[in-house]
Amino acid sequence: MYRIRFHGRGGQGMKTASRILGTAFFLEGFEVQDAPRYGAERRGAPIFAYVRASRSPIHERGIIRHPDLVIVADDSLVPVPAAGVLAGVTGDTLLLISTTETAATWRDRLNLGDAVLTLPAPPEVEDRLELRFAGAACAGAAARLTGVISEASLEQALQEELAGLPAGVVEKNREKALEGYALMAAHEGRVKAGAKVSARAYSAPDWIDLAFEKARISAPAIHAALTSEKMPTGLWRTMRPVIDREHCKRCWWICSSSCPDGVIDIDAENHPRIDYEHCKGCLTCVTVCPSHAIRAVPEHQAVTAEETGA
Amino acid sequence: MTETLFKHMRDLPSSHLLGTGTPTCAGCGGLQALHQIYDVFGGKTVFVNAAGCMTLLSVYPFTPFRGSWLYTAMACAPAGAQGIRDALDILLEKGQISADEDLQTVVLTGDGAAYGMGLSATSSAIERGLDFIYLCYDNEGYGNTGQQYSEATPHAARTSTSKGPQGYPGNKKDLFSIWAAHKPRYVATVIGAEPLDLARKIEKAREMPGPRLIIALSPCPTGWDFSPDATTDIGRLAVRTGIWPLKEYENGKVVHTRIPRKRLPVEDYLKRQGRFSHLFEPVRKEALLAEIQGRVDAYWEGIEG
Repeated sequence: MYRIRFHGRGGQGMKTASRILGTAFFLEGFEVQDAPRYGAERRGAPIFAYVRASRSPIHERGIIRHPDLVIVADDSLVPVPAAGVLAGVTGDTLLLISTTETAATWRDRLNLGDAVLTLPAPPEVEDRLELRFAGAACAGAAARLTGVISEASLEQALQEELAGLPAGVVEKNREKALEGYALMAAHEGRVKAGAKVSARAYSAPDWIDLAFEKARISAPAIHAALTSEKMPTGLWRTMRPVIDREHCKRCWWICSSSCPDGVIDIDAENHPRIDYEHCKGCLTCVTVCPSHAIRAVPEHQAVTAEETGA
Repeated sequence: MTETLFKHMRDLPSSHLLGTGTPTCAGCGGLQALHQIYDVFGGKTVFVNAAGCMTLLSVYPFTPFRGSWLYTAMACAPAGAQGIRDALDILLEKGQISADEDLQTVVLTGDGAAYGMGLSATSSAIERGLDFIYLCYDNEGYGNTGQQYSEATPHAARTSTSKGPQGYPGNKKDLFSIWAAHKPRYVATVIGAEPLDLARKIEKAREMPGPRLIIALSPCPTGWDFSPDATTDIGRLAVRTGIWPLKEYENGKVVHTRIPRKRLPVEDYLKRQGRFSHLFEPVRKEALLAEIQGRVDAYWEGIEG
């Protein structure tokens, strides 16, 4: 059975990629499961999608713990713990990263030897969410890596899954998918289908048994306020708003009132401050600031600048 | 009515009560309104939340609220509010809580519940004179499940269940008038893009007894198909084109709190949103555009001075 896991950001087409690949497998006569992981499928947030394909009925359910192939559409997710790109990777797992860097760099960085392949990402874009066709390219590349999906099946699957979209968008996706397919020609069949997992061999996780308590104790009531702040939604951000203190007029806090997430507070001297731990990068503040004192900086550049102290 | 605390933009709260880290989409117009409203309500509130986008706020064990929150099915949030109000009243009467421990009961629902499934329960809650606030964040469709049309969807909008060349064939239900026809204590429309108008209305509603109902138009980047940084721009355009009138109902009268001096053409608002792109491309649908503009003009006739 093939077990394939896609990683990307909401808006980059990971769910669609998994459906295209799933349908392509189906057209080749496989039994298929394809599904995104439900949860925060929000724009910019880390997204997971899964495909299982087998010549015989699939009895496995749920998330894929040990994938045979991991596809990463956005390389900025690799160092993000919440994205879990490397979770459950074994010695047999192949990793395909869409990136502007070389395979050698990633092999070295991840210490994974030749199990890392790269798919050339489009040249540097300002905002990573512009990588709208990343999903199609990844689906095409994955199809070739399995070695069991023909170009014709890939095309047909894409047409079926994208039916209803404007013709120009479908064509662009088709082009990208076929490009991905062609680029992996040298690696055709590199993904090895994993062995079936027997239910008998299943060992229960290390559950902690909780004693049955009275309702007052065991009922799912939250007795603390503001626990949502434990969620670092700043990870969704692909563009970072940066306040220029020189130009900020310390007006009447229009950025703070307009911020949908309420992540801009005003300090004692009336300077606005953005909580980057939670800012989702919607950039509403950039558009509402009357004195244009807030600018948008690509997140990866902002992080690099921070690290180098530039 | 006492003088408002919110005379100028600089009187708006500069720190916020609602917690960060919620799973709503970046640029959510509903959350923008909710965090502004919560700042004025204060933390002594209990939210009764019918199923919808905002139920994602409190997914165990996370909550952005400072107080309690109750989850109900789509149609029955006002009934849930009745139970909570009754329980609080009983505790007050028995002296088990003091007057300053009392809570404001706030129903929080989307337009699917407010305009459709939950309307009957709201109608009877108003009829019973329930002391509560109803807050509807209206993003004009079932946003949490992929933007299927609701009874709040505007004419001609594309939704996942109205994909044809004419868009949604129905018309947005006039919930403000339906609520006002029950003669509750207070009804108002607000929008997060006009925070001062919003703060004054919520401040007013907060101090009143009885049923008080608020509709917040909530620009939705995901469902309306626009870039998340445009939420406030689109909200302002909704007001300036006159398609979202800011108004309040009190003592049998409707008062418009913001009459656009020179209304912008409604297409300025429509063309910023992907859900209306079929009105402009591949060819302009003049008849539909004129129909939409005509309805807005007819609304303001007699209101504009």
